[in-house]
Amino acid sequence: MASEVRLERLLGKLVVDAFGLPFGRIEDVIAEPQGDEYLVTHLLIGPNSRLAQLLASAHELPTLRALGLGRRPRVRRVPWSWFDLTDPDRPQLRRSVADDGQEGTRA
Amino acid sequence: MSKLLEIALGLVTGIGGFLEAGSLATSAQAGAEFGYQLIWAIALGAICIAFLVEMGGRLAAVSHHPLPDAMRERFGIRFFLVPLLAVALVSFLVLASEIGGVCLALQFTTGVAFRWWALPVAAALWLFLWKGTFGLVEQGASLLGLVTLSFAAGALKLHPALHQVGAALLPSLPTHDPAKYWFMAVSILGASVSPYLFYFYSAGAVEDEWDEGYLGINRAVAGLGMTFGGAVAVAVLVCAALVLHPRGIQVDRYEQVPLILTEPLGLWGFRLFAASLAVACFGAALEIALLLAYLVAQGFGWRWGENVRPRHAARFALVYSAALLLGGLVIVTGLDPLKLTIFSMALTALSLPVTVMPLLVLMNDPDYLGDRTNGWLSNAAVLCVSVLAAVVALVTIPLQIFGS
Amino acid sequence: MELGREVLDQQVIDARGVAMGKVDGVVLELREGEPARVAGLVIGGTTLLWRIHAGLARWAERRLGGEGHVTRIPWHRVLKIGVDVKVDVEAEASPASHWERWVRDRIIGRIPGA
Repeated sequence: MASEVRLERLLGKLVVDAFGLPFGRIEDVIAEPQGDEYLVTHLLIGPNSRLAQLLASAHELPTLRALGLGRRPRVRRVPWSWFDLTDPDRPQLRRSVADDGQEGTRA
Repeated sequence: MSKLLEIALGLVTGIGGFLEAGSLATSAQAGAEFGYQLIWAIALGAICIAFLVEMGGRLAAVSHHPLPDAMRERFGIRFFLVPLLAVALVSFLVLASEIGGVCLALQFTTGVAFRWWALPVAAALWLFLWKGTFGLVEQGASLLGLVTLSFAAGALKLHPALHQVGAALLPSLPTHDPAKYWFMAVSILGASVSPYLFYFYSAGAVEDEWDEGYLGINRAVAGLGMTFGGAVAVAVLVCAALVLHPRGIQVDRYEQVPLILTEPLGLWGFRLFAASLAVACFGAALEIALLLAYLVAQGFGWRWGENVRPRHAARFALVYSAALLLGGLVIVTGLDPLKLTIFSMALTALSLPVTVMPLLVLMNDPDYLGDRTNGWLSNAAVLCVSVLAAVVALVTIPLQIFGS
Repeated sequence: MELGREVLDQQVIDARGVAMGKVDGVVLELREGEPARVAGLVIGGTTLLWRIHAGLARWAERRLGGEGHVTRIPWHRVLKIGVDVKVDVEAEASPASHWERWVRDRIIGRIPGA
């Protein structure tokens, strides 16, 4: 049974893991072409704190970066299948971060 | 069109377009109160706006996106709305000031009070945009703007001590009334570094279909145009410094300002003053009204363009029409145009970080600029001036409102 | 392809080269046991409001009784994604141009010289 979810409402949402601990915020959704279709493969997850997001923006300006004011954000590519989106406003990881020691590959 | 001709036209746009209600009012006030001392503020403002205008042009030429369009794409709707509202609000106040400027010029010439001219002037502006093309607005208003060179003529006739003028290019501390001094410095910066200037220039580069081949022209036009334009503002300041300052006349009523040209140039000075004020403000008003339309239309992906008939860009036309009508209504209320102008210049300075930051981020993004991203000098210059201007504005505006 | 960066908020150009709005939303179709697919684009209506303030959007949809004049463009009609998004749809015929047409017919078009 198909249902739809809106990309723009997913962006910025906080993802929690199976224990309810914050995992990060959805930065983007990655889709790859397969035949005529584009299929969603990964979600890009970034830092969950507003401060980290602000520092990431500062990092984009070379002047501020040179002044040491920015911080390169930790962004992870997490496979789509790891997510449970039955409630699009509260995305969940199907497994806890501690599971098999991996959190998905770094972007 | 040959490159040289393009540069010449761009130069004319810079000269004719730089001076408007804001720079006229702030330069005159500064000259009257502090003599030559604040020339450095005009110079700093001109340098900063030259950088910003060059950036706006480069963004358009390389990415083929006008600035509002790129801002929406890059930042998403939420972080687009903040600078959008800031630029729109500040620019609207400046638009009302420009309409006020034209009305004042008409009051000086005819004796009929400025508020009765507000709606006719707004209608004339509207007609220009309704029937005109982008080329007409850009070049027509700028060519006519050359009449502002009369300030240069007036300044030269007053025989300023050139070494004193040159020395004032360096910042100096005030000898009296520091709160007013810094408030004026900040207002001058707000007058020179008006967001509408570089947002409009960027939109213009797209209307004129610039590409990477125009980058050299872009740099020449931005640099030379703003330099010569700044020189005209300096001329206004020098006239005020030599005519009003020795008499201790502080410009707090607009009737005093024409004196700065009537003394060196007599009756012709008066006529040229009124003509300069009218033309400069008229041109600026056209640009701002168009800019407000570009901001909204390009930000939301509507059809836009000054070269298309209004029915083919209906919402775009609605925005500039509404802006002109509302701007006219502000002046009809009888609000003092001089006070409105000075206030909106200070507000512009205060809002600079918000209005400038999106452009700065875009100019460092290789997705938009490829290998033409900003050098360290452009970034540092603009960042410094915007932050400094805002900080000083934050301090001096309340002092100005509650102090005097 | 990073959908947020490369598709969302891009300018949409119709089959005739006319500006049709911005990509206000992207629809992802969730399927049981299969990867989600990109179903299409959404332009206009209350879509933008949802990104600004969810409460405001809910109120607006209650007042309008729906999403408003929204245009859905199925993914197979998206021709090219680059500087802008080119689609094989006509703007004039779609709900996307409802307000443009309204302003043209009711206001701008009535003024001489339009």
